[in-house]
Amino acid sequence: MDLAVLPEILFWGLYAGCIYILLAIGLNLIFGVMRVVNFAHGELMVLAIYITFFLHNILDLDPYLAFALSILLMFFVGIVVERLCFRPIMGTGKLNEIFMSLALIYLIQNSIFITCSNVDFCNDLNRIRSPLGYEKISFGFMELAADHIIIICVTITLVLMLYLFMKKTSTGKAMRATSQNREVAMLAGINVERIDMLAFGLGSSFAAAASLFWISEIPFTPYSGSINAIKAFAVIILGGLGSISGAIAGGLIYGVAENLAACLFGGGWKHATSFIILIIVLIIRPTGLFGEKEG
Amino acid sequence: MKRRDNGMEINPKLAAVSAILLTALAIPYLPVTVTQLLPFKGASLLGFLILMYVFIMFASAWNLLTYSGQGSLGHAAFLGIGAYTSAITLRYLKPEPLLFNSINLEVILTVLAGGLATSIVGVFIGLTCVRLREWFLGMVTFGFAVIIHTITTELSDVTGGHDGLPTKHLVTATDFLSRYRMEYYIILVFTVAVIYLIHRILESELGLAFEAIRENELEAKVMGINTVKYKLIGFALSAFFSGIAGSLMYHHVGYLTPEVFSIENSFKPIIYCIVGGLFTVEGPILGTVIISTLWDGLKSLGLTHEHLVIIGLLLIITVIFLPDGLISILRRTWTRSDAKV
Repeated sequence: MDLAVLPEILFWGLYAGCIYILLAIGLNLIFGVMRVVNFAHGELMVLAIYITFFLHNILDLDPYLAFALSILLMFFVGIVVERLCFRPIMGTGKLNEIFMSLALIYLIQNSIFITCSNVDFCNDLNRIRSPLGYEKISFGFMELAADHIIIICVTITLVLMLYLFMKKTSTGKAMRATSQNREVAMLAGINVERIDMLAFGLGSSFAAAASLFWISEIPFTPYSGSINAIKAFAVIILGGLGSISGAIAGGLIYGVAENLAACLFGGGWKHATSFIILIIVLIIRPTGLFGEKEG
Repeated sequence: MKRRDNGMEINPKLAAVSAILLTALAIPYLPVTVTQLLPFKGASLLGFLILMYVFIMFASAWNLLTYSGQGSLGHAAFLGIGAYTSAITLRYLKPEPLLFNSINLEVILTVLAGGLATSIVGVFIGLTCVRLREWFLGMVTFGFAVIIHTITTELSDVTGGHDGLPTKHLVTATDFLSRYRMEYYIILVFTVAVIYLIHRILESELGLAFEAIRENELEAKVMGINTVKYKLIGFALSAFFSGIAGSLMYHHVGYLTPEVFSIENSFKPIIYCIVGGLFTVEGPILGTVIISTLWDGLKSLGLTHEHLVIIGLLLIITVIFLPDGLISILRRTWTRSDAKV
């Protein structure tokens, strides 16, 4: 391998790590507050891509504006999903959560597919053309696409905003309290069901933010989301369930490791590499990198 | 939890089981007037039922692992290892054909070998999972499915890579329908045997140990149960039955590609078991029969994507209103009839 490509691989890893980070933070928010795992997270992301795509094509909006609107819209979609699907099954066992997620995966994927087959601007492989598609920013030793830099900046901003929200606002404090101890939070007068809705809505918005990855002409189908969501889940397992810093570290490790592996051994090993890392880490630390030891 | 059957109560259950078995035996020879009413006809009816039986075995095997308190999100790995072991053994050893009434006995033997190889891999995977719990365990098993998928695709000299390899049929027969009929009976025998074995395992001391570990691992350990040993046994048994299901399925289909490791194959047994009812012998059977009939029935009506939307909605409704699965309805009616007696 040529060492000169190393910075480029690292950059690609950082860029790919961003979707994992955004997806993983969304999942972690939902898990932290509700103790529910939403395997249909990737489908929420795909839904957000299609909302952007439709807004862009029908209303002729700028893709970045459409993207911002889809983040907002997905907040409400998340609330509806929580209210109708996940609240009724809370506390009935972990396998029922997987089951509900699988049902949602079938429902969302195929609903999108059916809608698309009736719309004429949809093809087998859809693309969103970003207005900055051909802009490059030169850093001396390498040239980077402007879109990719925007994605990294958006991720950093969103993570910082979430951090400030959780630390400074009273709602954020209520959310942290609920994730630490639901019963005591309830006794302290926190409306935990409203916090659940908020967490799921925010989680869905983060899933929508992850869809920014597709803005620069990367083709997508209704089925693009599932493997990413499962890997995002692997990321939070790697980092430790419920830990935001774990999600960030895990996302970066995965992004870089996958791109290195794809470069060294060929593209086929991309998915396998991330799971090999996961298994090795879990053999050594059964609760993940930043996970608390179970009592 | 478990009711001990005494003399009087056995009869209705036994009668139900024998009625189901007799129906299953009679299906290949149903008169045309009856099969005309079904959505599938002739060989396609048998083909559908064969796959359904295979998935009954597979779902029951998954349920067995869950019974021992360990969940798996990557059971397709076992399905695929069984299928590949059997196909590759036949392909490279090229054993002499052992015909018995047109049944290829050497294929039956490699099916069993596939099961054994899978259970060895199962123990290995189980060893890495001993300390893990819940989601961590689920993700690691899912990861193994992905890794094995990649290895199979990359070792294209042996496995044929993406293109896959042809597999030998269970039965040598000149015409389609008679091959399907024979294979139907072979797979039915395997299915009944697997269900019976799982039933016996769950009734035995092994089943009790599994249940103890599932309910409370620490307490089980305190009671002197070697939890690691029983967890590994759970993995080995579940993998064995899944491997057999996988190799039977692909010897019937006649062609094997890495698609066997798909996420769908990992998640299908979960859906079947939860719809039917977890931790019971009947649950996976009931779930598989109902969901796969719905699945293929709706598909054969020409709803190519709508059927998945309908199934998605039905699954959501089921899990909200019947979190313990369809078996809970049956259980309720049984206990009610008991009360009358």
